[in-house]
Amino acid sequence: MAIAKAERLMNLALCLLGARRPLTKRELRQSIEAYVEAFGQGEHEESFNRMFERDKDDLRELGLVIDTVENLDGEVAYVARRDSNRLPPITLDAAEATALGLAARVWQQARLASAASGALQKLHAAGGMPGVTVPEQRTEGRLSTLEPHIPAREAAFEPLMLACRDRRLVVFEYRKSNAARSERRQVEPWTLECWRGHWYLAGWDRDRKAERVFRLSRITSAVRSRAGAFTAPVPDQVTVRETVERWAGESATATARIKLRSGAGYPLRARALSVCERGDGWDELEIPYGHGLDAWLVEFGPDVVVLGPDELRADVVDRLRAVAQG
Amino acid sequence: MAANAIDQTRRMLSLVTYLKDRPGARVEEVARAFGISADELISDLNVLPMCGTSFRGGDLLEIDTDGERIWWRNAETLGSDTAQPLRLAADEATALLVAARAVATLPGLRESDRDALQRATAKLETAAGENAGASARLSVTFESEGGVFADVDRAIAERRRLWLRYYSPARDELTEREVDPIRLFAVGHTYVEAWCHLSEARRTFRLDRVAEIKLLDERADPPAIEPRDLSAGLVQPAAGDPEVVVEVGPGGRWVAEYYPHDSAEELSDGGLRITLRTPEPASLRRLALRLGRDGRITAPVELAESARDAARKALAAYGE
Repeated sequence: MAIAKAERLMNLALCLLGARRPLTKRELRQSIEAYVEAFGQGEHEESFNRMFERDKDDLRELGLVIDTVENLDGEVAYVARRDSNRLPPITLDAAEATALGLAARVWQQARLASAASGALQKLHAAGGMPGVTVPEQRTEGRLSTLEPHIPAREAAFEPLMLACRDRRLVVFEYRKSNAARSERRQVEPWTLECWRGHWYLAGWDRDRKAERVFRLSRITSAVRSRAGAFTAPVPDQVTVRETVERWAGESATATARIKLRSGAGYPLRARALSVCERGDGWDELEIPYGHGLDAWLVEFGPDVVVLGPDELRADVVDRLRAVAQG
Repeated sequence: MAANAIDQTRRMLSLVTYLKDRPGARVEEVARAFGISADELISDLNVLPMCGTSFRGGDLLEIDTDGERIWWRNAETLGSDTAQPLRLAADEATALLVAARAVATLPGLRESDRDALQRATAKLETAAGENAGASARLSVTFESEGGVFADVDRAIAERRRLWLRYYSPARDELTEREVDPIRLFAVGHTYVEAWCHLSEARRTFRLDRVAEIKLLDERADPPAIEPRDLSAGLVQPAAGDPEVVVEVGPGGRWVAEYYPHDSAEELSDGGLRITLRTPEPASLRRLALRLGRDGRITAPVELAESARDAARKALAAYGE
């Protein structure tokens, strides 16, 4: 049976961490049994090189800083310096450690869930979390009594997260909410934001030469990222939420007056600027008027009548006609 | 699986650091500290003796266990280089920092928890150094009604019953009910899962639809039930629920994003034919009204007709 990957990676990590001087690829190959077993002493150079590069990348993903240097003979050599790999001292008190341990369980996305428990294990090993254990999935915990979850079921999430981190240009097909077809987008990704359980990407759309926000569930293809980091600056403040609120019609620009049947339409009442009883089975409300209000009002059917402005009234009547004829 | 090999390597690196300072550590305790089962730990311990700084020089880790305790025999000679606490990777710092910041901003969270989280966040940022920077690329906001949240939180902690005035969008009405809260969870919005004495069943309530809330003195005594599995999403229609078919144009494609459905068939005009199931088809009348010319319900016919009827009645008020 081939030697398991975890054993091979562990050996490579220990060799790099334990060495007193940078080790050449040849030395590493000869020191690690998994490489010898798979590739012999001098053959299969290319396959070995590929595996070696992948293994180094995997260890870097785990946080290992591996420096590449040239040794005295002009050969490339590798070293994981102790000072650049050491966790600075950190000690959390019991309350901090418990709170952090529970917050770490929010991730439902596999990669971040693993990263979170890996981080807690490192803190534990360093003695930074006295008396607290890394919570297992599904065990009882108390952070208030809340269980927060961050979903990330969208396939585009992980590649975009990595692209934001590494500042790589991404290309994907995107279908706007009201578009019949998808279009190809080239985006310099800035940030990912989760709001109301949905993920959004903010970035610079290269073709449209403008900042854009994309909803991940509307990405219709695989996300491909280009090699090499982009160099354009990423703004400190990105307004994903304001953009999404505008889409959702939550940024009002004016006010509207409506008649609402008594007892009906609680959400409209909750947002109303004023409510006044008319005494005829109807109430009169003043509500914020922004994009999307017409569609929302139509949901209440015969329990809402728009009094003004005329433009809103016309939009609502137009929508009602469409439904009546449907 | 490749992902597991990476997780296992990550864990084993922390394990050697942990074991170095704790000779004779108990299997049970170590497994608990690492959030893994004793079996997983034993399988790590079976790999570690095959690892070292060079198999040729014989510098392998001499880590062994009798199934109860664990010893690292040559920790003195090998441990100083290979078992130092390791810095956090960018993803690791991100996973913890984003989670801690998201939870800390939840309105209604107990102040002591919020303080602890903020202190932990600050310490982590320092310890993670430049790798803390990547966490700025992700952010999460939970929505919650602070006052309602605090009352539900207290009711669960003190095992007390709650009285709610709750809004049901399906019927556009407020109902009053007493509930025994079971758990409070946040997935985008914040919800309380509770035993509802009005419907004599388990119900999930969204906190922003709670119009009024009161803590009662009665003790909450919900029947012992398995918590819902949230991993598959909140709305999980039952196989026996009635089927509804909605046909939408390009402007109504969002329906497929918001409603869990059995199928969404592409139509030639760029629209979709969406088939979904719901215990309460009448609740979709609102959807039919909202869609306007962007779509309509095609089955069941009674539901389609009730939407048309509601639209006609509404139009009458405008003199049409």
